[in-house]
Amino acid sequence: MAVLEKDQMVHLAENAVGIALKKGAAEAEAYVYEGQATNVGIERGQITKSNRIIDRGLGIRASVNKAVGFAYTNIIEGQNAIEDTILRALSAARASKPDRDWKGLPEKKPYAVAEKTYDPKILELRAEDLVNIASDMLDAAVSVDKRVFPIEGGTGAAYLSSAIANSNGVAGFDRGTIIECSLAAVAKEGNTVTPVCFEFNAERSYNVDPNWVGKEAARLAVSALKTKRIETKTTKLILTQFALQELLYYTLINAVKADNVQRNQSPFQGKIGEKVASETVTICDDGLFQGGLRTWAFDGEGSPQQKTTLVEKGVLRNFLYDNYAAKKEGKESTGNASRAGYLSTPNIEATNFHILAGSKTADQLLSAVDDGLIIYYLQGAHSSNPVSGEFSVVATPAWKIRKGEIEHSTRGVMLAGNIFEVLKNVSVIANNERKMGQLIAPWILVENVRVIGK
Amino acid sequence: MEDILAKINGVAVQKFGAEYAETRAQKLYKTMLTLKEGRVEATKQGIENGAALRVLVNGAWGFASVGSLNTETLTSAVSDACKMAKTASSRLKTPIKLAETKTVEDRVRVKSKKNPVKIPMEDKIKTALSINKAILGYDKRIKSCTIDYLDLTGTNYFANSEGTRIEQDKLYVWSRITAAAASNGVFTFSREEIGSTAGYEVFDAEPPERIGKKVAKRAIKQLDAKTPKGGKSPVVLGPNVVGVFVHEAFGHLAEADLALSGGVLLNNFGKKIASDVVTFYDDGTIDGAFGSFKYDDEGVPTQKTLLIKDGVVTGLMHNRETAQKFNVAPTGNARAENFRVEPIIRMRNTFMAPRDYSLEELVEDIRSGYYFKSFRGGQANVDGTFQVGIQEAYEIVNGEIGEAVRNASISGNTLETLFKIDAVGKDFKLWPGRCGKGQIAFICDGGPHIRVKEVIVGGSA
Repeated sequence: MAVLEKDQMVHLAENAVGIALKKGAAEAEAYVYEGQATNVGIERGQITKSNRIIDRGLGIRASVNKAVGFAYTNIIEGQNAIEDTILRALSAARASKPDRDWKGLPEKKPYAVAEKTYDPKILELRAEDLVNIASDMLDAAVSVDKRVFPIEGGTGAAYLSSAIANSNGVAGFDRGTIIECSLAAVAKEGNTVTPVCFEFNAERSYNVDPNWVGKEAARLAVSALKTKRIETKTTKLILTQFALQELLYYTLINAVKADNVQRNQSPFQGKIGEKVASETVTICDDGLFQGGLRTWAFDGEGSPQQKTTLVEKGVLRNFLYDNYAAKKEGKESTGNASRAGYLSTPNIEATNFHILAGSKTADQLLSAVDDGLIIYYLQGAHSSNPVSGEFSVVATPAWKIRKGEIEHSTRGVMLAGNIFEVLKNVSVIANNERKMGQLIAPWILVENVRVIGK
Repeated sequence: MEDILAKINGVAVQKFGAEYAETRAQKLYKTMLTLKEGRVEATKQGIENGAALRVLVNGAWGFASVGSLNTETLTSAVSDACKMAKTASSRLKTPIKLAETKTVEDRVRVKSKKNPVKIPMEDKIKTALSINKAILGYDKRIKSCTIDYLDLTGTNYFANSEGTRIEQDKLYVWSRITAAAASNGVFTFSREEIGSTAGYEVFDAEPPERIGKKVAKRAIKQLDAKTPKGGKSPVVLGPNVVGVFVHEAFGHLAEADLALSGGVLLNNFGKKIASDVVTFYDDGTIDGAFGSFKYDDEGVPTQKTLLIKDGVVTGLMHNRETAQKFNVAPTGNARAENFRVEPIIRMRNTFMAPRDYSLEELVEDIRSGYYFKSFRGGQANVDGTFQVGIQEAYEIVNGEIGEAVRNASISGNTLETLFKIDAVGKDFKLWPGRCGKGQIAFICDGGPHIRVKEVIVGGSA
């Protein structure tokens, strides 16, 4: 695929900053983004579609008298469209109100190299290759059991690049690749349909296992056929990465964002150095994790990404900062300004939120449970209270563990509690780490969670 | 513009032998702003011009999206789309076919009393500041508030190889208002959304002071609320919660693509799945409602679709592909968020029809239960398991609404729960929202107050 080169993109960004300053900006920043993706889609048991998406654009942030304006465009050919965007950013700034906490754009700092984030092999993949991957995945799923029905999924290969420049001399370019394959399946028997069971692989290098993805989605769906109700009680849970990702995104990750702390929206306010989790828990935000799905050399405003220890053996150590929140406290950004391509201004977000692995294998973790549940997919985590960390969600499905063995699935079990209590009740962490969106984590065992059965 | 699009479709059909081709182009303009505790974080403006080319070749879909309206780029993109379709068709068992629909030639103009394009940014900031003032001034235990504002205007162009050509203006005004309160280690959160396809006059119907006060009051009330007791309970649901229940627990199952994917409605068409008092619609024709439009993104006119009538499933929501499979007419539910994505089956304004009870009558027979007034979020699964998180709730004790309850949610199986609806109120309200199904769609949902004999209430007590 033909992509914009480093020089072109950096030039586009620096040129835009120059024009903005000439037109009256006190400060200016330009972010240039390119994304190209090829996808093959599965619907209801067969490959039905394929697409190719090319998205490029430019976002300009400009300040005038400490008031910030932003404008973006997806038309980056020709000086007119770019000048027009710059003028709109300036007029937005002039219409806005000054912000006395605005301490300027980030300063220039050296970048580390983002390792194992770019694989030319992914760029070379053609739609035919993706059809083959999707087809292998489908065949693998159906081979597990006749009752399996793959409802949705596919494979995709993407190239992403960004360039940034600002009036403090920041200039950066980074590029990366991602390949993924995923499958959602149900199992059907008579009139019974299981909840959707899902598996996927997503990697920065060409290293996916469609056969495993297909088989695993199918295995989970079939094992969800045999279902029994469970009673309401307080019990042990193994939270898999699927469950952790859902629960943490809407609760814990919000609590460690410095802007939420500063705005009295985090129960972690004033708790640096205090114990907030059990001693087994150590969490880093690692923007440079090798091959991490969110690993890049710099963040959405050109600050270097880095590794930040958030919780160390249960003790709260730090928060996630962008430049604005950091300067407000006289600190340095932790490289956590994230943006949705060229379409948005930066917001604080975790990069690779890494819960460090323990020493037990997944099997050892299971055998440690005499009576409990293993939780995969959750519904309703987004309805958690983002400030207090209280959640009330449904597991569809969960599996009952008895004497160290998975016994049967159960549906409609509600889990209710508070994520900050859950953190204190983590007793064992396994070593089966995997990457899932912004999370890198193994399974964890939690004691004393309230489950509501039927 | 439609002439160029028609030409592009011609390339697909003549050069690549496509059975069908459609080209969508958009010229859209966005204004956004975010206010946090009265501080304008940034005022933002965006331009999104681009085109989406979708073709059917050998029974498989090919799709290409480009951020350009240049004829040359579009011609190369449509070739891409055709090649992609051909490749995808290599393992196809059941070719895709489309239901027939009348060809349309139309131009749809918006008529708003207050076009947001003509409102200066300063006025939009002023409106947000009034909401902010109402929230922060309500009580000193309110610790923060965030106000997001968006307006989206412009034109969508559509042409397909069957001769349909539509030019349709778009206008959306949306705002989300959130507040957080804290006291004695208790943290609460409250949210409200405004959304309209009418115009900026939506702020006349929902004055900034009133909405700000509403959001603040809810956050404060929850500070002293108790947590609910987990387990089965009778409940009364307010229109806001009924809306999200209709949308999440039933609506998604009535999207024909999900029904075909093994959803529980597939084997229940024409059957009774709810009590007699249950009637649901999905309606794209309500003037000014956030989920309304005239033509969907396959060029099919929108309509008022009856989904459940007196407890019996009578309709599903279709695009042209699923309509063909069910041998029915398409319902105009194919929507694409923008030129970057393909149209998929989405809801519009989905609601329950009112009946004859007053709120007092719904509550009076409940000895011990809950009144769930406003939701925080909801989600459903194809097997019919639903969950709705609640942001405003009260106890019902001896037939009367009592103390506030926080961090509640309800869950159950849709088909079981629909039979447990035993009384439906005479009031009615629609609420704007945004629905995520890989893409975001602007929608409304709502209904009257209802009583449900039994749902599972998730609570930590």
